[in-house]
Amino acid sequence: MGRQRIVMALAGAGAVAVVGAALLLPGGQGSQAAEAAPREPVPGDPLTGAEIARAGDIASATSRAHMAAGRVNLLYVERDDGKDAEERRRADAYLYDYATDRLIVRTVDLGRGTIVKESVTRGVQPPPSKAEEVRAAELLLADPAYGGGVREAYARAAGRQLRSVADLGLRGLIFTPGQEGGARRCAAHRCVRLFVRLPGSTWLDTSRIVVDLSAKKIYTLEW
Amino acid sequence: MFLRLALSCAMLTGGLGAAQTAPAAQASHAMPAARVSAAPAARTPQDTAVAQASQGTAVAQAVRAPAAPCSAPYRIDRTLPNGARWQLCWEMRNIEGLTLTKVVYTPKGNRPVSVLRSAALAQIHVPYDSGSPRYHDIGALGSTAIPLLAADCPGGERREQSVCVTTRARGHAYLKSGYEEPSVSAQGSDLVVFAAFQVGWYTYLAEWAFSDDGAITPRVGATGSLAGSTTTAGHGWPIGVGSATFEESHSHNVFWRLDFDIQGKSGDVVEQYDFSGSRTAKRKLKRTTFTREAKALNRRTRWWRVVDRGVRNADGHPVSWELNNSDSSQYRGPAGEAFTRADVYVTGYRSCERLASVNPAPRCAGSVDRYVNGERLTDPVLWVNVGYHHVPRDEDADPMPTHWQGFRVTPRDVTAKNPH
Ligand SMILES: [Cu+2]
Repeated sequence: MGRQRIVMALAGAGAVAVVGAALLLPGGQGSQAAEAAPREPVPGDPLTGAEIARAGDIASATSRAHMAAGRVNLLYVERDDGKDAEERRRADAYLYDYATDRLIVRTVDLGRGTIVKESVTRGVQPPPSKAEEVRAAELLLADPAYGGGVREAYARAAGRQLRSVADLGLRGLIFTPGQEGGARRCAAHRCVRLFVRLPGSTWLDTSRIVVDLSAKKIYTLEW
Repeated sequence: MFLRLALSCAMLTGGLGAAQTAPAAQASHAMPAARVSAAPAARTPQDTAVAQASQGTAVAQAVRAPAAPCSAPYRIDRTLPNGARWQLCWEMRNIEGLTLTKVVYTPKGNRPVSVLRSAALAQIHVPYDSGSPRYHDIGALGSTAIPLLAADCPGGERREQSVCVTTRARGHAYLKSGYEEPSVSAQGSDLVVFAAFQVGWYTYLAEWAFSDDGAITPRVGATGSLAGSTTTAGHGWPIGVGSATFEESHSHNVFWRLDFDIQGKSGDVVEQYDFSGSRTAKRKLKRTTFTREAKALNRRTRWWRVVDRGVRNADGHPVSWELNNSDSSQYRGPAGEAFTRADVYVTGYRSCERLASVNPAPRCAGSVDRYVNGERLTDPVLWVNVGYHHVPRDEDADPMPTHWQGFRVTPRDVTAKNPH
């Protein structure tokens, strides 16, 4: 099939599209953050926006240089809901180092303001972050074979030129080569399969396209 | 029979009067000690001792309700029309999306029983019939939550835009004809908590129904749009004009993770029930107790329960929740997808074991089949796999009608009789 294969998947218009379009825009970590006025959280509460920011700061402290260089990224912060730490406010910060392909999870004790645990591993890929979805789409747009096709499809669907990745509705899933052939480097690299939504409730057929965030490359699956 | 009924009614009344007090206080305060061991949610024998020891503080404890495990926006506390009460907390986690925690059920006239510590989706595996693609649809599910419109949450309240908490009719709770008097009947209702997620073309509705009879029904509805991937006649169905293009069939293999903690994590045991006898007049009950981590397969009359022998109802029977009514297409994938090869997994609690496949935690196994590695069970977690094989049809375009899949968790001996 090869690289020419970007086909428009016509899905028709629907009520779902109205709701869906807005939230597919890239943004910060909003879903988990409590949006209400500042309040002292009790142990079972989701992390507040302030706690997420603080945990991210503490967990990133030793990785600042790599983060500035774009080598390491803070993916997101998740509440630690482990049974052994029920009464404590703890947060797991997920960081990824694309140069060494290591996942770093730092557990921050929010009461003490310190990292209480760090796990580093290879070959474990938590879901892509919003920022990674945007980066993957940028790589796709910059690709000589695919970039033009995406712009064309967008212009056709929207009736105007694509200005930036922000115009696209993005959703990413981790790709690991298992049952599907091709993109073998994704066994070690951080690879993302994108869903790209266009105005008018259409999607690009991107099911064969894999974006390698570690190598900054695009692969086409052969099946 | 009459005597026995009268007795249990008296007990129910006793329980009702004290329903607002803390469990330990209530046991000593509202009921004769002899009944403590038989009262719902009483743990024996340890808690009986605690209850008696704490008699001095019983009144003080009875005055103020125990602190809620979460703050108001995340707290769900609903007493349904028949008097059954459900209390729980919700959280929109980045990865699993809607997660329900600290689920407590109070049957009418009885004392609270904690049921689940945590419950959430653990994967939606979507392999297409031609062999590719094969998606693991739980990415960062929390960030795909769709803001709900008022119309999406009929009769309910929206929490932080994306979670709906509402009450819904569930038809006849019971109907019994009278002898000379009129028949008795009641309409049942559910507390429903749900959120919707946009994952590619699909919209997934993650719904949890908590019934006024103590049942819990988790289910996932797939709607939105078809993927629009075309294939050959052998792997799909023609849904456009004519029969030139075939929309590809695929499975949605949905996994749930349920951490049952019946009145705390200790004492929970998982049993499997089978009924032997095929082409015979007799059937015989066979109980298998899982002492170690296990993988189990569906069978027509097979079911499981999580039972805590230290927690008894008024009949002295151990309180349990039964897992049944899974209507799964039982997808079995290739060797590399061994997590699809069982319908129920029972594992020992580990905080890092979160998803049934593509588990995101370091220093942890990658899929649920690997969590099962012979550990002795002390705090069991149940993983339920329900598959749906989706063969597209013309009606699926567009928007696609919701197709549902799920299972049931029903109380077994939580109360000594129907607590209607
Ligand atoms: Cu489907």
